[in-house]
Amino acid sequence: MSDPREIGRPSGSLAAPDGILPAGTYEPEVLPAGLTRAPVGVNALATEHLIVNMGPQHPSTHGVLRVLIELDGEEVKAGEASVGYLHRGIEKLAESRRYSAVGTLMDRGDYISGIHNEMAFALAAEKLIDVEAPRRANWLRSLMAEINRIASHLVWYGPMGLDTGAMGPFLYAMRDREVLLDILEDVTGQRMMFNYVRPGGVLADITPAAEKKIRVFLETFDQYLDEHIEILAGNEIFQARMRGIGVIDRERAVGFALTGANLRASGLSFDVRKDRPYAAYSELDFSIPVAQEGDCFARFMVRMEEMRQSVRMIRQCIDGLPEGEFTAKVPKVLRPPAGEAYGAVESPRGELGVHLISDGSDTPYRMRYRPPALYALQVGESLLPGVLLADAVVILGSTDIVLGEIDR
Amino acid sequence: MAIDKLTGEHSLLFIRSEQLFDTARRKSLWYMAFGIACCAIEGLMSASGPRFDFDRHGVFFRASPRQADVMIVAGTVNLKMAETVKMLYDQMPEPKWVVSMGACANTGGPFREYPNVVLGVDKIVPVDVYIPGCPPRPEAVQYGFLQLMEKIKAQTEVRLAARRDSN
Amino acid sequence: MLPDVTVTRRILDGVGITASVEEVAILGVVCRVSAEQARTALRAFRDSDLAFTFMVDLFGVDTGEAIDVVYHLRSLARDEELFVKAEHAYDSALTSVWKVFPAAHFPERECAELFGLKLADHPNPQRLLTTDGVPPLLRKSVRLRGPEEVRNR
Repeated sequence: MSDPREIGRPSGSLAAPDGILPAGTYEPEVLPAGLTRAPVGVNALATEHLIVNMGPQHPSTHGVLRVLIELDGEEVKAGEASVGYLHRGIEKLAESRRYSAVGTLMDRGDYISGIHNEMAFALAAEKLIDVEAPRRANWLRSLMAEINRIASHLVWYGPMGLDTGAMGPFLYAMRDREVLLDILEDVTGQRMMFNYVRPGGVLADITPAAEKKIRVFLETFDQYLDEHIEILAGNEIFQARMRGIGVIDRERAVGFALTGANLRASGLSFDVRKDRPYAAYSELDFSIPVAQEGDCFARFMVRMEEMRQSVRMIRQCIDGLPEGEFTAKVPKVLRPPAGEAYGAVESPRGELGVHLISDGSDTPYRMRYRPPALYALQVGESLLPGVLLADAVVILGSTDIVLGEIDR
Repeated sequence: MAIDKLTGEHSLLFIRSEQLFDTARRKSLWYMAFGIACCAIEGLMSASGPRFDFDRHGVFFRASPRQADVMIVAGTVNLKMAETVKMLYDQMPEPKWVVSMGACANTGGPFREYPNVVLGVDKIVPVDVYIPGCPPRPEAVQYGFLQLMEKIKAQTEVRLAARRDSN
Repeated sequence: MLPDVTVTRRILDGVGITASVEEVAILGVVCRVSAEQARTALRAFRDSDLAFTFMVDLFGVDTGEAIDVVYHLRSLARDEELFVKAEHAYDSALTSVWKVFPAAHFPERECAELFGLKLADHPNPQRLLTTDGVPPLLRKSVRLRGPEEVRNR
């Protein structure tokens, strides 16, 4: 592929390259309004750098992200991300809520994947009170988490198409997402802010209606996923816009503490589900998709493959759900002994961790929410110098950021 | 009287220009795509999706505030966002309406105790319809829009009455 | 999973830092250094055989007397985790470690802004999340709004 920086620069002068103009052209020495014609040979497109503001209201930012871009023509010279438009104080408010109520706050952090947020907090709290969730609860947690992962990846997939100019995949993604939200609503009562995973177990057991819906979903989604991949990845324009763009090599990925699909698309196979197993993942049979190129297309394919692995896990969970309680007996008001714990889950964006410090009272002393998207945004921002403006949008979109998590 | 039915206020043959304009405005409320937080996923993305099709009410999103009629404030407004909300509201041309969606935009929501959060977007811009919920279901957002359409129709009646009374 | 405590202490002695390294229940190995020694210690851990090249997280804790800045490190090669805590006095300077771990860029801005520390040696020492004039919100001394204030909005 030719160096993208060469696109758009004129090959000759503004006048006809061979000097022969069509007959009848009026060629004044002084153009109207006092403009003088530029002498032939000078690059009359010489520009100064323009600082353009992208966001916080913009159809192609994934939340209220503001990016200040210094442009030289179409090429980005520097980019700076400005966040904080959604800073609502989840960490501070957690210091004044009881442990059972912090789940409602965590839901609203990375609002697209609520189950994973709640689970990170529940894991940290369970370490503090030294309680293990029963086996059925763990399998239910994994089941709901994988359903949420597919729903979250679909929300990323739709706008990824929009960022590259395709409006159709967005509607297909929303159609498939509605099926998943129906299942989540049947089990948890809510389409979005589930408050389902609690310290000790889960809120409620799975209903027969939900089980039926899951089986219907499993029958049809593999074929739909193939269609989704074919629509975008099989499209020549999409490939041209994504291949070779935004390459993250391994040193940059490790230095910037990248996790999740972004890291795995650069060749490193760290996944919290395999390396720090929680819930039922040590008993499930699944593989981790890893790509080597590290460009936007690799990240795209890794996430689509992750959806396929999630379907595999959902099938195992629903077929092999063990008998037992769906929650351990924990007191309504938790008072963990003083101490610290770190619980991490593999959210669709990466390693979502909760560092919980307790002082013995019924509210946490300090809750730190480790946002994977913040580190992904840092990498995205560092990749901006030297790309074209349209590629900047694609790069930021391919890293799957959610501003609720970055700003907390 | 029969002649009134043909040429009166709610005539069958003729339509006052205000009624025509307000019908056009009601039936094609284009909102500005301005999702701040979680409510945007439900109220803007899901409500415009294939199941809860917003387009059948004539409601569609526009990227630029200059081309929009309605601003749906979906999410928590904090001190940093407040200037932007006001700037976007000022950029919208008249007639414009504001729909405050979700608990955060109504009164501050679950984050009301944090000092950085503004207690409701009506502290910054005038709001026409409040939609409660956290997040409100897509059907609730559509119902809110139907209420907004009723409100616009009621404003037509007010203008017609003012014209009739001044004659 | 947990690094060897004596090896960790030896790495710190190698760069001239006497610090406490101990194994805490549930959390793991926690190493306490002073604020001035933090950058040297992190560089030593990164370049050592233990290869703590991955900085999982950087955040602050208001202990009531000082701000504890916590660096959570991970070694991908050996699958080990380490916590380094550096105590900073209120309103003191937070020396940036972005040259050691580029991932620290944004978290340090956030930590400094929300705990009232001043950034030193940072390429872009601006606020990250809040606007000018907002107090350091994560400090224990800054209170949340009360119910009366919310009710009379």
